[in-house]
Amino acid sequence: MFDNFDLMAEALLEGMRVTTIVTLASYGIALVIGMILVVMHVSPAAPARWAANAYTQLFRNVPLLAVLLVMYFGLPSIGIDTTSWGVGLVGLGMYTGAFVGETLRSGINSIPLGQAEAARSIGLTFGQSLQTVILPQAFRAVIPPLGSLLIALVKNSALVLAIGITELTAMSRRLIEDDQSRFDLWGVIIGVTVSYLVIALVLSYLVRLAERRAAFVR
Amino acid sequence: MTRQNESTVLFDALGPKGKQRSMIASIISGAVILGVLALGALELAKDGFFEASRWVNPLDVLVVETTWIPAILDTLLAFALGSLVAIVLGVLIGFGRISRFTPTRAASSVYVQFFRSLPLVLLIWISFTIDGHFGFTSDVLGWSGDARRLTFLVLGLGIYNGAILAEILRAGVAALPPGQAMAGYAVGLSHGQVQRLIVLPQVLRNMLPAVLAQLVILLKDTSLGYVITYPELLHSANIIGRDYGRSYLQALVIAALIYFVLAYALSKLVVYAERRLRKKTAAPKAAAQLESTVAGGTAGSGVI
Repeated sequence: MFDNFDLMAEALLEGMRVTTIVTLASYGIALVIGMILVVMHVSPAAPARWAANAYTQLFRNVPLLAVLLVMYFGLPSIGIDTTSWGVGLVGLGMYTGAFVGETLRSGINSIPLGQAEAARSIGLTFGQSLQTVILPQAFRAVIPPLGSLLIALVKNSALVLAIGITELTAMSRRLIEDDQSRFDLWGVIIGVTVSYLVIALVLSYLVRLAERRAAFVR
Repeated sequence: MTRQNESTVLFDALGPKGKQRSMIASIISGAVILGVLALGALELAKDGFFEASRWVNPLDVLVVETTWIPAILDTLLAFALGSLVAIVLGVLIGFGRISRFTPTRAASSVYVQFFRSLPLVLLIWISFTIDGHFGFTSDVLGWSGDARRLTFLVLGLGIYNGAILAEILRAGVAALPPGQAMAGYAVGLSHGQVQRLIVLPQVLRNMLPAVLAQLVILLKDTSLGYVITYPELLHSANIIGRDYGRSYLQALVIAALIYFVLAYALSKLVVYAERRLRKKTAAPKAAAQLESTVAGGTAGSGVI
């Protein structure tokens, strides 16, 4: 079943490498965007809240693939040059950032009002109560949902194959469509499934580790 | 515990000085945001993004009739069929996971774990490729061309989202107070009757917002038909864009806007359903409520 196993393993490992890089890099971008969004969301300035809301609604309701295609095929038609990697990372990051922002916001909202009130009542300023009371608790509450966003991003990152990045899914496609049919269909399917499982398992292990680390601070 | 206006979470009602300061902050941030938008618009205008002809050409009556409208209908068709398959599979697998029979539980659990861990695009594309590899082809059934593509898109959407809906429903069953089922047994209903008459209706009710939220995602995911060239919205927009090279960006933006309108309307329905259905069933346990709060009000939002 696993004809030419070495070749297949090599190709899938390369695909895993690309998928992991795309995932982690765009997740970094998404975290930055999400943090900016959540600051805008809870700020007292109304225009900032509106802008954050508009951004979130936009990216929550447009398919990721549409975002990627608009940037990759659309922008060059009006003379703005793009590259696969640039669009892939920025597009995934901007899309996921909207969801990260929402997750962070619900993390802050999940802290009972009494915590903020208690902080205020012992005389902490807005900044102090945020820094020493609210954010440490909110941070802990959002680690699991941020982790599941990361795992979802592993799967979403497969869409960059549409703009010409050979990540894991595109690589398995290449193996199946190999002109010399050196690879067995089921072998490749099992291989690519195991590869995705490995990435997801490693990442969720890391997330659990982070969760446990954060829990000790309490 | 959820507050209507989260902007008041972190500070008290503002005094006169604070109001003044927040007013200044509003004006400054408003100016900055408008400035950024204006700069972006200017940049786009310089490249001819707003040229009328670039927008009008892909929206020619002929193109609308022959391509845009069929594309929207094909998207909605894939969405409707995909949802149907996903809901049927979701209910079956979801209840399979809490079945009394260990093999059923194990099989359902394997199903969920397996399909949840793969990218949907891989599922759709692989099932499309497998077709014909094993002596059996869908041609036998007389499917060809777009009908065949639709079949694989719907199968992929249904199988994948079925796994996710199963998890949502299972969470709903876990959140239902156990007294509900016990009361059913107490009045002499069988296990099957309890599940069918007492548990399922309440779970469907409680989890309807989460299920609908997942269906919004399913609607967005119909765009993956693009990879197997099913003539849905994105694929059609791409073709229109290639035909009218100068309007490539505009055609794709129009498609994105149509997706936005469809998905936004559906997500408004979620909010409406949430409001309508509150407090119509035995209160779900607090844990489930907390979870849905943390996940941004939609249990499925982790799976984007």
